[in-house]
Amino acid sequence: MNGAAIAARGLEKRFGPVAALRGVDLDVPAGGALALLGPNGAGKSTLLRLLAGLARPSAGSLRIGNGDTDRRRTRGRVGYIGHATFLYPALSARENLIFAARLHGVRDPGVRADALLAAQGLEAAADRPAGSFSRGMAQRLSIARGLVHDPDVLLLDEPFTGLDPAAAERLTQQLSRLRTGGRTLVLVTHELGRVARLADAAIVLAQGRVVHAAEGPELGPARLEAAYLAAVGEVA
Amino acid sequence: MNVLLAVLWKDLLTEWRSRDRVVSMLLFSLLVVVVFHFALPDDAPETTRAVAPGLLWAAYVFAALLGMNRAFAIELENEALSGLALAPADRGWIFLGKALANWLLLLVVEAITAGAFALGFDLPLGPVALPLASVLALGSAGLAAMGTLFAAVAVRTSYREVMLPLLLVPVLVPVLLGAVRATAALLASGALPLGPLRLLAVTDAVFLIGSFVLFEFVLEE
Repeated sequence: MNGAAIAARGLEKRFGPVAALRGVDLDVPAGGALALLGPNGAGKSTLLRLLAGLARPSAGSLRIGNGDTDRRRTRGRVGYIGHATFLYPALSARENLIFAARLHGVRDPGVRADALLAAQGLEAAADRPAGSFSRGMAQRLSIARGLVHDPDVLLLDEPFTGLDPAAAERLTQQLSRLRTGGRTLVLVTHELGRVARLADAAIVLAQGRVVHAAEGPELGPARLEAAYLAAVGEVA
Repeated sequence: MNVLLAVLWKDLLTEWRSRDRVVSMLLFSLLVVVVFHFALPDDAPETTRAVAPGLLWAAYVFAALLGMNRAFAIELENEALSGLALAPADRGWIFLGKALANWLLLLVVEAITAGAFALGFDLPLGPVALPLASVLALGSAGLAAMGTLFAAVAVRTSYREVMLPLLLVPVLVPVLLGAVRATAALLASGALPLGPLRLLAVTDAVFLIGSFVLFEFVLEE
């Protein structure tokens, strides 16, 4: 752990009269992993999109990496894997990765695309249109897309949604390897059972506020679920 | 510049695979030509020549509206627009890449439609093909610039098919003014007048620079 990879203070986001986030403070150390938990509509995805540089905060400050607040450079440091895959169905898996690599100014996009396809076990499907992929394959390709520029910080929004148990387990192991490799992870999930394996801290969001923070032994499934239900229940 | 080339490559490759945008634009503009062919009197060739430039550009605008809407509809699938917005570059380059792709596809449609127009209305476009191409290129640049910007605005609204023409057509007045006048002078005398060309060049420059700057905010959530 060498300094904060993500530091947010008083982060707010409003969509017209609706406040999606109301003063969120966040610190994630470099190489750390944070799980964002909470009921639907709590503001988890909005927070992740702010961290990714896709949206501008209505108030508060946000720093990614070495104190940098420039959102353009920030976008180059984070890999964002959202609900949707960001893939073009008419392009092949390889073409999708080459396109993403070019967007990020990666040298030798073809070489990088081939390396990522191999890492995801998708070499055999490299020339198939992404539109013909199963949910699990599309998710693996989407992860490859998020890693195309070798980001320091990886943001994942419910990456287990729609995956069968075997695919979800493969993804858990892959994310664990990425952590071991020194990447900082922020993960939105409803799967409390996976939190202890993937994160070293968790926060629960409800109605745009942090209502509970947990780390260490508190991340065990039973304790986390009890704390989660208590925190969310109090707010509701 | 990397981002511009990447978006251009992706848009042209996607269109090459599906061909749905060019085909629908072309069919629509050819249908407009057919409708005008039956609407205008057969026994008044002078009237036809007088209104031909306006009709031609009306067909181009209708075709462009169809194509621009489709250009951003492909970015909605799998939320690809967010993937574009994640590029660590000035988002104006994304705009330029998409506008350039739209401009090239529009030129293809315009060239074929002009040929059909010449046949349908017995207009001698052959001798003025080169200067006409320069008018089409300049007029389409303004059309593609504002069309791309407003299509990106409209695509996230509930009524994007209605929203795009409502936003775009009023802003296109100077482009249409310059393009129709230049085309009319070309058909009448075979010479290109400087005034309309200057209007087109200035409008294109303002639209391109303005859209480049504004696109950052258009993609903002």
